[in-house]
Amino acid sequence: MAHHHPPMDLLIEYAAGALPVAQSACVAAHLSYCQHCRQLVEKLEDVGGAHLERLDPQPVGDSVLEAVMARLDDPEPLRYAPNEVSDTQLPGLLDRLINGNYADLVWKRVTQSLSISYLKTGDPNHEFALYRIAEGGRIPEHTHGGSEMTLVLRGGFADESGEYHQGDFLVREGWDKHTPVALEGEECICLAVLDAPLRFTRLRHRWLNPLLKLRAG
Amino acid sequence: MANKKDAGNAPAANGNGKWNIPTGRRTDEWSEALVLIGESQDRGAFTRFFRHFAPLIKAFALSGSSLSATHADELVQEVMLKVWQKAGGFNPEKAAASTWVYTIARNCRTDMFRRLQKFDTPLASDDFELESEEEESFVVLHTRRGAERVRELMGDLPPDQAQILAKVYMEGKSHSEAAAELDLPLGTVKSRVRLAIQKLQGLMEA
Repeated sequence: MAHHHPPMDLLIEYAAGALPVAQSACVAAHLSYCQHCRQLVEKLEDVGGAHLERLDPQPVGDSVLEAVMARLDDPEPLRYAPNEVSDTQLPGLLDRLINGNYADLVWKRVTQSLSISYLKTGDPNHEFALYRIAEGGRIPEHTHGGSEMTLVLRGGFADESGEYHQGDFLVREGWDKHTPVALEGEECICLAVLDAPLRFTRLRHRWLNPLLKLRAG
Repeated sequence: MANKKDAGNAPAANGNGKWNIPTGRRTDEWSEALVLIGESQDRGAFTRFFRHFAPLIKAFALSGSSLSATHADELVQEVMLKVWQKAGGFNPEKAAASTWVYTIARNCRTDMFRRLQKFDTPLASDDFELESEEEESFVVLHTRRGAERVRELMGDLPPDQAQILAKVYMEGKSHSEAAAELDLPLGTVKSRVRLAIQKLQGLMEA
């Protein structure tokens, strides 16, 4: 059960359909772990339903009704069927993004204990990536020029402000520095959504920064 | 308010021996229509449902003049077709009909925006629907009453909060987009939205 949740502002924007696709996917992935936030989002969607009922109705021509009636017997569009053999144990949405094929992910090694795999969401302003940290491994101290959402998918990590486990969701803004360390016993996999690149702050890691330029899309 | 607690279940006799009509009655009419559509592909119920909701969906599509009239009609078609296809999955115990329609309209509009902007994403809004719903029955009535209560309370919001909330929900604007359009600091927008939501959903903390 998750103990760290998206802030209310973000859940409101999610329920209102106002988030960019990468951020929206990250929140949705948290919801798949968190009944508490699922219920909250349902309540927030009620606000949308209530608004809808109070709008000034706009005339819709009979031709639109006829067009819809004529299409009722059309076959339903095919939907993505989850891969039967998928054993990624990832939220369905991520499974969909990687086609259920965790083993085929391409990992880019950044440091001895950190590898990153970039996934394509089409979001032009956000990088959407899986971070894999070896057990007990450390991500060098870094800051962000923008906002970073992190969702723990497997294992856990700790940083200056706490310890995070599967399903936990964090938002970091701007120039907070932090140094996440994966917990012992299991590698840690996180989803990270960034709108500006990570920057290592210590001299001995700064040469890696060009490797981390934002890969949105 | 004393007998509000029972309003979602069944009409309850009050002191005069008359039946209290549950406040969510209008909603119930549309929930029943959805159940008929889902269970027996009832085209009459669908037509009634269309006549009520299509003009609201069109208004939703046009809010903030985000879509042209032609695209608005197209959105109405897409949403109503989804209503027909998905009605079997509608659970009247869990959601109000208007909330259910809202989520479909919201998703279809997002997909339409992305299509119009030639935005290439492997994710359709339907992919965001959550698989795990079984273990949630115990909160069910709470949710539906919540929808009725939200509707009652909306009229009491101060205009500045109501305006921003409508911008966020009906126009799908993020807080920062709303701040830019209304020429307000982001912090002001966020706090007005949060205050409005707290007023609408005192039950949210429950």
